[in-house]
Amino acid sequence: MIIKGIAVSSGIAFGQAKVLKPSHAKLDYHLIPHTQLHQEQQRLTAALDALIKQIVLSAEHLDKASEHHQLIDADLMFLEDEELQLELNQTIANQQFSAALAVEHTFAKQAQILKDMDSPYLACRADDVICLGQRLISTILNGHCTSHSQLPENCILFTKDITPAEFAILPLERINAIVLQTGGVTSHTAILARSAEIPTLMNCNVEFDELVDGAQVAVDAIGGALYLSPTSADHQHLSQLKQQALIRKAGLTKFRDQVTQTADGHSVALLANVGCISEINHLADVGAEGVGLFRTEFMFMHSAELPDEQTQYQRYCDAVQLLDGKPLTIRTMDLGADKEVPALTMAHEENPALGIRGVRYTLTHTLLFNAQLKAILRAANHGPIRLMFPMVNQVEELEAVFELIEECKQQLVEDERGFGELSLGIVVETPAAVFNLPSMVPMLDFISIGTNDLTQYTMAADRANPQLVEQFPVLSPVIVKLIAQCIEAAKTANVTVSMCGELASNPAATALLIGLGIDELSVSLSALLEVKQELSHWRYPQCVNIAKQALVTSRIEELNVLLTHCRLS
Amino acid sequence: MVEKTVTITAEHGIHTRPAALLVKAAKGYDCDILVECQGKIASAKSLFKLQTLGLYKGVSVTVSAEGEQAHQAVENVAELLITLS
Repeated sequence: MIIKGIAVSSGIAFGQAKVLKPSHAKLDYHLIPHTQLHQEQQRLTAALDALIKQIVLSAEHLDKASEHHQLIDADLMFLEDEELQLELNQTIANQQFSAALAVEHTFAKQAQILKDMDSPYLACRADDVICLGQRLISTILNGHCTSHSQLPENCILFTKDITPAEFAILPLERINAIVLQTGGVTSHTAILARSAEIPTLMNCNVEFDELVDGAQVAVDAIGGALYLSPTSADHQHLSQLKQQALIRKAGLTKFRDQVTQTADGHSVALLANVGCISEINHLADVGAEGVGLFRTEFMFMHSAELPDEQTQYQRYCDAVQLLDGKPLTIRTMDLGADKEVPALTMAHEENPALGIRGVRYTLTHTLLFNAQLKAILRAANHGPIRLMFPMVNQVEELEAVFELIEECKQQLVEDERGFGELSLGIVVETPAAVFNLPSMVPMLDFISIGTNDLTQYTMAADRANPQLVEQFPVLSPVIVKLIAQCIEAAKTANVTVSMCGELASNPAATALLIGLGIDELSVSLSALLEVKQELSHWRYPQCVNIAKQALVTSRIEELNVLLTHCRLS
Repeated sequence: MVEKTVTITAEHGIHTRPAALLVKAAKGYDCDILVECQGKIASAKSLFKLQTLGLYKGVSVTVSAEGEQAHQAVENVAELLITLS
């Protein structure tokens, strides 16, 4: 059986399952007679002392200056807090709660306050509070604290949640992977797991009752899947993935930390295309300088319900936070054509590729669009966001989009919500957009050329038809000419030119694209290091020369020969 | 009473770790130190209470203290609120 999860720390692992079940003792909701309240207060004090002692003991071997130690200090400071202890004791006395119930009540209240905050980062801390409360409750109920010291070798640890402080005391040398039922990409534990290089899945909907300690399981923390009883085929497949990942890492790692530039120092920005937030975790593995294309429609296509403004805001904030100041380029949802959404009913169209898609769809579904725009504007308050719109042909469409953005800002001001300024751009993917660029670029900060659709619409050839794709490839003289025209129009207005289509990921085209004057390439994660390596083989004047020659070719074959010949020489 | 108002600049606000460092510093003074933010008040010596203030980027915070070392205490805590991240 395969269960999905969010891969927060990349890797593949095999091992025996070890489940750390949360304490099953049910809380007693009966009120405590007045005569026994004092006893409950004593139980609380004893449990606090025991837990504090255990935490101090477990932190002994840790470096005092480390971030781990600081997190443990914070847990300790929390448990020793006089105001907290006062509130717990008062809750027992005034509400006649048992010690455990008072802890649950007080910690849940605290977590709720944190959750309601208008800062996703602070709101995330609510999970840590709940988790610490749980440990205190089980200490009260069991009379002793649970310890992680009895983990078997090569285990895959299953548990509901782990606080950063608990993570710090795990015997990591025995753990091959971690699977949590809760948590998300930006949780502190995820960050710690990544730095410890322990493959980790979070938000994994696994039933602990289905698991037996010692059962062999496999974790694919690249694709985000848990294999409960892996077949030999699964095993082989995952071993291969693991091997490939290792080889790729070894061969190309040396390029990871190098500046993206040609042999003679002409630099180009190299960004990554991503379809989900967990992929952003892998940017550092390949040294990507940011996200050049975040396809938001997958967020809509993969859920039964539409993510509302708040949910989207959280996700965009997660992305911004993971990128830590590097640019995030969001493409507003590109629905229609081949991308259908379960939660939306879309009118049947004879020719969906030529139908209501991209901004044509969003401009006629403004409730949906406004929620996305507002979520993005709010997230831009936390880090740099570039926003681009798919399928813009005409300046009128661009004006309509800008008008909506202004309305959204106005609403946010009225609601007293913070928002940030966006860099704005369009995806150039039709010949009409290319020819209309001179009227649009004065309003834009950047453009991004989507070569797949640009080819489909230029050649009138369905990109899903393999025969036509072969006959009318992206790498063809007419597309080269259109790219050159885009760059010329953009440069007159000092607008950055990015390319997010598949052509950007093709090393055979790298020199040509640089020679044409592309400023940024946004490529798939798996191709990034290869493109970087390719770039380092060229000198800029060579690239310019190739571009010049490519622009005067007329046959597809001629262009191919030119590029192959230049690469070999 | 000594008072000082500052604005939080830390990208992620004063979350758990910086807040713990702040509490540690505050506990070094004998006087009571209060932190006020968006109409809520907490003791600078209580992580539990401090956490509920919502000390995130851009908000304005007033630190106040009375008694011995009040001036030093306010300066120190205010400085930490600006510099910790």
